[in-house]
Amino acid sequence: MSETVSKDLHPLEKTLLNWLSEHGPGSDMEAMAGTGMDEGSYRRAFQWLLSREMASVISSEKTVTVELGPVGAVYADKGTTPELALLEAVKNGTSSLPEIQKNGLFDRAQWGSAMGALVKARILKKDPDGLSLNDPSGGVFPLIWSSVYSVIGRGEALHLSTLDENVAAEVSNRAPKRGKSRAEFVINETGSSVIEITSSGREALESARGKNTIGILTREILASGEWKNSSFRRYQVDIPPSRIHIGRFHPYAMFLDSVRNKLQAMGFQEMKGSLAESEFWNNDALFMPQFHPARDIHDAYYLEDGIEVEPPSRDLGDKVRAAHENGGSTGGRGWEYTFEWARSLKAIMRSQGTALSARTLGSNPDIPGKYFGIAKCFRYDQVDATHLPDFFQVEGIVLGEEINMRHLLGLLKLFAIEVAGATEYKFVPAYFPFTEPSVELHVKHPTLGWFEMGGAGLFRREVCEPMGIDVPVIAWGLGLDRMALLALGLSDIRDLLNPDLARLREMKSTPEKLLGSGNNA
Amino acid sequence: MPKIEIPLGDFLPLAELENTDNLEKLLESLKAELDGLYEKTVKIELNDTNRPDLWTTEGVARGLRCWRNGAESHLDSMADPVVHIDVHSDLEGIRPFIAAFTAIGWKVDDDGLESLITAQEKIASGFGKERKTAAIGFYPLDGICFPVSYSVTSPETSFQPLGEETEMTLSEVLEKTEAGMKYAGLLSGFQKYPVLTDNTGAVLSFPPVLNSHATGRVVSGDSRLFCEVTGTDWHTVNLTATILACNLEDRGAVISPVEIRYPDGDVTVTPIIYRDTLTATFKEISEMIGTDAEELDIEALLSKMDYCGIEVGEDSVTAVMPPYRRDGIHPRDLMEDIVIAIGLNNMEPILPSEYTVGSAAPVEILARSVKSLLVGAGCEEIMRPILTSFDKISTRTRTPELPIRISNPMTAEYGVVSSTLLPALLEVESSSGHAAFPHRLFTVGEVLRRTGEALCQTQINLAVSTGDGDFGAVHSILGIICHLRELDLSLEPLDDSRFIPGRSAAILINGEEVGILGEFHPGVLEAWGITVPVAGFELPLESLRV
Repeated sequence: MSETVSKDLHPLEKTLLNWLSEHGPGSDMEAMAGTGMDEGSYRRAFQWLLSREMASVISSEKTVTVELGPVGAVYADKGTTPELALLEAVKNGTSSLPEIQKNGLFDRAQWGSAMGALVKARILKKDPDGLSLNDPSGGVFPLIWSSVYSVIGRGEALHLSTLDENVAAEVSNRAPKRGKSRAEFVINETGSSVIEITSSGREALESARGKNTIGILTREILASGEWKNSSFRRYQVDIPPSRIHIGRFHPYAMFLDSVRNKLQAMGFQEMKGSLAESEFWNNDALFMPQFHPARDIHDAYYLEDGIEVEPPSRDLGDKVRAAHENGGSTGGRGWEYTFEWARSLKAIMRSQGTALSARTLGSNPDIPGKYFGIAKCFRYDQVDATHLPDFFQVEGIVLGEEINMRHLLGLLKLFAIEVAGATEYKFVPAYFPFTEPSVELHVKHPTLGWFEMGGAGLFRREVCEPMGIDVPVIAWGLGLDRMALLALGLSDIRDLLNPDLARLREMKSTPEKLLGSGNNA
Repeated sequence: MPKIEIPLGDFLPLAELENTDNLEKLLESLKAELDGLYEKTVKIELNDTNRPDLWTTEGVARGLRCWRNGAESHLDSMADPVVHIDVHSDLEGIRPFIAAFTAIGWKVDDDGLESLITAQEKIASGFGKERKTAAIGFYPLDGICFPVSYSVTSPETSFQPLGEETEMTLSEVLEKTEAGMKYAGLLSGFQKYPVLTDNTGAVLSFPPVLNSHATGRVVSGDSRLFCEVTGTDWHTVNLTATILACNLEDRGAVISPVEIRYPDGDVTVTPIIYRDTLTATFKEISEMIGTDAEELDIEALLSKMDYCGIEVGEDSVTAVMPPYRRDGIHPRDLMEDIVIAIGLNNMEPILPSEYTVGSAAPVEILARSVKSLLVGAGCEEIMRPILTSFDKISTRTRTPELPIRISNPMTAEYGVVSSTLLPALLEVESSSGHAAFPHRLFTVGEVLRRTGEALCQTQINLAVSTGDGDFGAVHSILGIICHLRELDLSLEPLDDSRFIPGRSAAILINGEEVGILGEFHPGVLEAWGITVPVAGFELPLESLRV
């Protein structure tokens, strides 16, 4: 240790070591006086040297000193205390307190408490006739004057231990811990040490002498080569770093990106669509009857009058209408109601990501094919800790000649393991208007416990047939909000889209934390 | 999704369950969830919106019985009707349909009455569209003098409604009673209102609002009931009556139909029993479930789901849905019930064997490249909702292009769709005066723009802003991105209401005008409560494609 440390002394350390080396052991007061350091600098140098074993404490003691308080200073100026003045007056034959007070030397309270103290100490006696002397020596009070007031001036201190026991007791009585502004005396307790230089202190001093110590390394020092004859002041490296703010991706965007990467790795192509949809693509194409409860006016945001989304082809429209009204050529009987084309064309904010899948089905998809979308959806909900006005849904489809229920379950199992890192999962029958059969995936997440992670099903023939799709199609969707919140250390969904930059800067960047590792598929 | 809270004391014996131990698991077969278990009641969520029969104590209980014991018979041996209802012609266009039955022999108790009321409310509000397509009335049978007449009458007709102290006219019922105010909308615009009266002329009820106090009050101890369902859609009315008849039959009542005589001479005996027959071939079943269907005991499986008339043929199976269900509209629906009966967790999951290539959308790949450069430039990514307010986009930010409005906003705060991303960055700036400067913000997101011919289009934009930064600060960020992406950037002076005159410009990339850049006007900053200079730019992400 001493090898490296010896070459590096802070200027304050060097000053104190120099003094100790020349002067020999010394007390705090002496060292401060000798080095000219203020108390703060001295304390730092003292602590550093002790911790590096360059100096050691020979002895240390607690010193209790007394100095005059504000009231005591006034008495010193007047040349007497109320007690002594009162004694003096009684000795001179004045026995009436009001008479004595007339000289105006002290105020009534001071005279009063002096009389009380003298009576209590049995120095004065108080009779109906007035005051008389009981103890002509005056007890402790003349001693206080001679051993305290006469010895120290204002601002100086006296060791309490040097005083007579009775004097010290009375002085302590008159040095209250609180209300120092009205105190006669103030008592201070301080620690005081005597230190000396150690051998490693001498070594360090030896090697530091004749060398500069470099604090901040500058271009000039590098250019001049000055560093070659200097030592570097060592930094304290274990302090916390200062906080900087950096450019970064939004943690929620990173979470969604990690989901995107997972799905890509599983062979899914990404779909993109429109924020605004016609009711046709959002609902009709998904075989949700126009009277379906989820199609109530209060379940979707309608765009202002006059704004439309490009209408579907009439041919496709007619096929979907037939599927709704009587089943058309889907093999079923339909919903048996009158389909309104005008309703189909109404523009709404996309309420379910499945609208994207419907669009994909209608635009000649790959077979076999796997698709996913991370789509903003809009639900008519009050905004609260679990609802945003718009939110992302992750969903998609799988098309293939041989797709069946077992593939659907296999896909859900893969999601459970890959996306949620789940340890257990189960399938529960479910209802979605556009799939039959329909399944819910419940997973046991390592941190969240059991939760409903998503749903899936085989698209109904009434959805696929009008689009000209004659292979089975799995439709699936995942609810990842709870996982996103957990991954980012949040509990309120509104915090995902918080406008407060200071809070955003505190958001953890651990989006991949909760996704499955991919090792256990 | 409908939720029902039903008395355990009524439900458990009906479901033939000793206790609730296995209830959660059993409910899965009905697509139902245990939502809450209390001392005396159980709350169940029913996820299938096409199965109103399950929104009742009896329906859930029956589903669980059949799941364990197999199919039951329903309304198989109804006697001929002995009473009838005359329907008058003026109901056309108001509330033309009615179905009714009598139920004799089940003595109503307190829990049973509670279940009856729950069923009545859930079915009429959910399936019956807030009583429009179907509303339900129960009556003690013996207070009614048949035949009953279903007709229209003047709003000034008066009777004492259930729960009221005095007689009121029908108009007063709509104005003053809770139910009247709630359902008045269903009758608005009509000169006359529907009414059910008995042969003595006594008002039985004012459908779809309230029963009469004198004849329409069922209490514990009644064991002879009359039930009618009125509405604007015949199948909804008849299915509702069927469900209720099956429910009371399950409780031990004998159900007798009621004859409905229409003004044109048509006579219908209600409830009409549906027998929806579904057929699926073994081939399509096998293809869907991924195993050989011929090895399954399909008859036993369908029996668990309460199908009857199951005929297993050479290549196919045919079965009749129970009369309380009408959601079997495609062979696929029969196949789903087979899958549920097999048990999803009894099927072995496999992965598709066909290879597909995954890929991110091109615009996402572009976004990743551009965002990486911005992060390298020290910019922090912001995400804000797409729904926003007119105030933020137009009033405060002074964006020249008007955003598309939501015609039915929940609050003005989310009353328009973002057409630009700069207001979101200004909003962050206005909320972040306490966050250490400088602020270099960016956001990539979807906006909805007006395009020609009243159409709208989704576009992915990029916006960047610098808080406590000037024109040069934001210009240099755009500059380095274009430089590194080999895009030719130039600016042309263009004044814009958002920016300080002379300090805004059109962004031209490879000679084409794509966006705007400028130093925000102090008036804009003041409107947002921002106390530092802010500059920004916005352009479509696609304009940065190389």
